[in-house]
Amino acid sequence: MKIMVTIEVLGTGCPNCKRQMSNVETAVKQLGITAEIKKIEEISQIMERGVMMLPAIIIDGDLKVSGRIADVPEIKKFLTGGA
Amino acid sequence: MIETPTCSCGANEPKRIIFPCAGQANVGQLTNLAAVQLTEEGYGSIACVALLAIGTETLIANAKNADEVVILDGCPMLCAKKIADAQGVTAAQHLVMTELGITKGPSKNYTDDDIEKIVSACWGGEGKKEKVVAKPSKKTVGPDSDCGCGCGDSC
Repeated sequence: MKIMVTIEVLGTGCPNCKRQMSNVETAVKQLGITAEIKKIEEISQIMERGVMMLPAIIIDGDLKVSGRIADVPEIKKFLTGGA
Repeated sequence: MIETPTCSCGANEPKRIIFPCAGQANVGQLTNLAAVQLTEEGYGSIACVALLAIGTETLIANAKNADEVVILDGCPMLCAKKIADAQGVTAAQHLVMTELGITKGPSKNYTDDDIEKIVSACWGGEGKKEKVVAKPSKKTVGPDSDCGCGCGDSC
């Protein structure tokens, strides 16, 4: 299956970070796209990406949001190039 | 010293005010419970829709200055939405519990899953979708007659 986008969801595993992951999964499902979703929970891996505020979303290497939870419509905009 | 990232949920969250309809039915009470949980999770701050209804100036000003106003209505009567509209307060997100699949009364019972469904929908921004909300129609004649609020004539 062709991977169209790579989405990294950064968070240490708190309930709100899990909500962020859930929103990403919902957005991908609603758009019907193929995506590789990676959960990045290790602090060392988060630091490698230069992110200082969590939770965060990185799509194809671009930091889209950090320090807050993006909702489904917003994530869909990220994925469709609307933001 | 190396600065390490910490979980800063809420640090960059928009300032949100949440108005639950707080109606007497199970769905109305669920809006309250969900708004309390959303406040505890850092999503926003619960506010009193009755205080909004009487035109409290400071609350109206706060609502208009908020980044987002979130309205939780229990049923298709949309009381909280109508109160906000009357005070010139525009909702960025509007959720109706019966549209989330929660049945209105006559039982007052609810489950933790009901609350989680609402809270999750709110975090997911489900109420931001463009949609046409049908006006409740009151049928006063025949076996299908009801009050129009979705309760099956039990309220």
